[in-house]
Amino acid sequence: MGTANSNIQLADLDFQNIKSNFINYLRSQNTLKDYDYTGSALSVLLDVLAYNTQYNGFYLNMVANEMFLDTALQRSSVASQAKLLDYTPKSVICPSAVISLNVVNVQASSLTLPKYTKFLSENINGVNYTFITTEETTVNTANNSAIFNNITIKQGVPFRYNFTVDSTSNPTYVFEIPDAQIDTTTIQVSVQQTASNASYQIYSLAKDYLHLTSTSQVYFLQEGTDGYYQIYFGDGVLGNKLSDGNIVNVSYLSSQGTASAGANNFQLIDTIGGLGSAIITPISPASQGGDRESISSIKFQAPKAYSAQGRAVTKEDYITTIQQNNLGYSFDAVNVWGGEQNNPPVYGQVFVSLKPTGAYSLTDTQKQRIINEVINPISILTVKPTIVDPDYTYIKITTNVLYDPTKTNLTSSQIQGAVVTAIQNFATTTLNTFNSTFNSYDLQTAIKNTDPSIITAEFSIQLQKKFLPNLTTPTTYNLQFGVPLQRGVLLSGVNSSPALQFRDPTNLANIIDGIFIEEVPTVTYGIDHISLINPGFSYQTAPTVNILGDGTGAAAYAQMKTNGQINSIVLTNSGNNYTSAIVTITPAISDTTGQNGSATATLQGQFGTLRSYYNTANNVKTIFNTNVGTIDYTNGVVTLNSFGPINVDYPLGQLTIGVNPVSTIISSSQNKIITVDPYDPLAVVVSLSAKS
Amino acid sequence: MAQTLQKIYSDIDLTFNRQPGRGDLALRYDDQSVIASVRNLLLTNFYERPFQPSVGSNINGLLFENISPITASIIETEIQNVISNYEPRATISDISVTAQEDQNSFFARVTFFIGNNTTPTAVNLLLQRDR
Repeated sequence: MGTANSNIQLADLDFQNIKSNFINYLRSQNTLKDYDYTGSALSVLLDVLAYNTQYNGFYLNMVANEMFLDTALQRSSVASQAKLLDYTPKSVICPSAVISLNVVNVQASSLTLPKYTKFLSENINGVNYTFITTEETTVNTANNSAIFNNITIKQGVPFRYNFTVDSTSNPTYVFEIPDAQIDTTTIQVSVQQTASNASYQIYSLAKDYLHLTSTSQVYFLQEGTDGYYQIYFGDGVLGNKLSDGNIVNVSYLSSQGTASAGANNFQLIDTIGGLGSAIITPISPASQGGDRESISSIKFQAPKAYSAQGRAVTKEDYITTIQQNNLGYSFDAVNVWGGEQNNPPVYGQVFVSLKPTGAYSLTDTQKQRIINEVINPISILTVKPTIVDPDYTYIKITTNVLYDPTKTNLTSSQIQGAVVTAIQNFATTTLNTFNSTFNSYDLQTAIKNTDPSIITAEFSIQLQKKFLPNLTTPTTYNLQFGVPLQRGVLLSGVNSSPALQFRDPTNLANIIDGIFIEEVPTVTYGIDHISLINPGFSYQTAPTVNILGDGTGAAAYAQMKTNGQINSIVLTNSGNNYTSAIVTITPAISDTTGQNGSATATLQGQFGTLRSYYNTANNVKTIFNTNVGTIDYTNGVVTLNSFGPINVDYPLGQLTIGVNPVSTIISSSQNKIITVDPYDPLAVVVSLSAKS
Repeated sequence: MAQTLQKIYSDIDLTFNRQPGRGDLALRYDDQSVIASVRNLLLTNFYERPFQPSVGSNINGLLFENISPITASIIETEIQNVISNYEPRATISDISVTAQEDQNSFFARVTFFIGNNTTPTAVNLLLQRDR
């Protein structure tokens, strides 16, 4: 049939292409000619052949894809590839909350809060979650009441599995825990000798294989092909080998992960020493939970965990190590940088900033645990790790959207809501982490893609810092915005909210409420000061100091040392309207030897002043303090000097300072996180105008 | 020297019968090839051919409708569509589908010309559901 020069294409995987290759091949013969006609028997046979070829092609392609971490799609394949890199995918992590318990009517002298005492949370998205204590606590009673302070409770339900070792039915000693919601950080494994001998040993998770011996009581953890975690034991060389009849006892917590985050009110559903009621005071809401690691996260993390090799040397090592051994905490983002990048540089230290899930920062105890248990054991001895809290900069977005009402079925309020959601989604996806960049183009695209009727949008942004001022001792605050700031004009510069209360300095018993901070409008830019760069030498008399620039009136003179050098330059008039100034130092006419003196002028424009004011009962604006701080426009720093309000008119006590950045491109570095505050209803303000 | 007539169309026979005497696979030529193709198309259901869902006709499904002249007319349209779409060698001259209520069947007769041949060719089919 075929001739010697006929060939068949092999590269195609698509059914139609495979079939047309067959047809092209058949064109080279003339015994069977009906290949072109759909109804012909030959065409039916070609269909079967092409289908079979395509099926095999697809199958082989899929098999090849699943063999590599980059291309695998099935979770079992990804987990299996990760296993080669000694990486165990992270499980669900129980969120934990802190409460204090007061049990009354206790007759005994002490009371024990048992392990696994159950509490029911408030309703979170329609579900009440079970929280439990993870350890036993005993306190002494006083006045018939027992007070348990700062008890950590975790969302989860305790489970226990017993497996009997049988080398015939399970020769590899792999025991699978059929629970996808398991928190593997809570696994406790003990091995009982036999059913008749109740003595047992506790086994711990194997971490450092170099120190394993033939009798190490360790277990290994892996994710199996069906997605469940498996526990297996040593072979008598690496780790103790189990023997037939041993009973493996596995207990753990099964949790719903982040679903219960935010739960803050609990009720006791167990009894404590026979008493069924207790007064529960919430201390901190449920946070730090985590969901099961996704396929894409395993693909990302596994090679990095492998390259870190259990040591923390490079920045990536630290990030991977902390995300891997997170001690049951969960982090949205981790950033690490060397102290030499700080301003001023701090050598010999590495800085770690952690953004915990569902909270703004870690507690001091949590930070210390991370340093002691995660970083120190594997970091270089001479490098001191320091954990710094994330520094949040909030963006307040005010946008005006022009839309065409004839091109949409949505009402204006629906469009408004959709734009707010789009901006919040944009913030969640592009901001809210370390080393992120806010840029106006992406925001504008996000707004425009909300609905086809949106023609264009303009927006302005304000940056905000939120902090809890010290209400007892006046404190100096440096708010680092990290971007150049606009010089304010009247009523639109740096501002604060909510209102503050200060004591009247002239009459300390008098408290003035309704105090705000504002920027003092700057209308002139003079010379702030002149710094000497080079004192020069051999000046016989003081040289003349000239200030050249686009402003007028600045004047200064040189103060001399006795050795012919310039000591300093004294500004006698700061002048007006300078946006640039150059200082020249000219020796006096009679001075033949003096030379090389040079100096530079710093313009007043770099710094602005903050003042505080209030409105009197007659609504007359009154200045309370003419100078409460400064604004460094160039470096984006707002400083409040000895700032001592006695109260903030806001239940949470948080003070917001807002500034206007020069550019709408805002980048974060080190421990800075840019975010849109999800709890502030005014963080995103959308106004609509309809095209007429 | 005697010349054999050049065969224009040639196809295998889906019954896979042997050629008498030679034991080779039997082939169909010209008219017979086109007639087999038309029958084949009429008896192919939609979604039967891999990756070509639109090849075929819904005659199979229509056999489960009422045996009536209306259904017969729909079957005629189906036959007209499938042949004109997928069998360019056949130029239809007549399609007649008769409902045989008493036998629970339709009798279909498709008359068509093959290529430039002036003699019409007919395919007769008794369409009856068997389940």
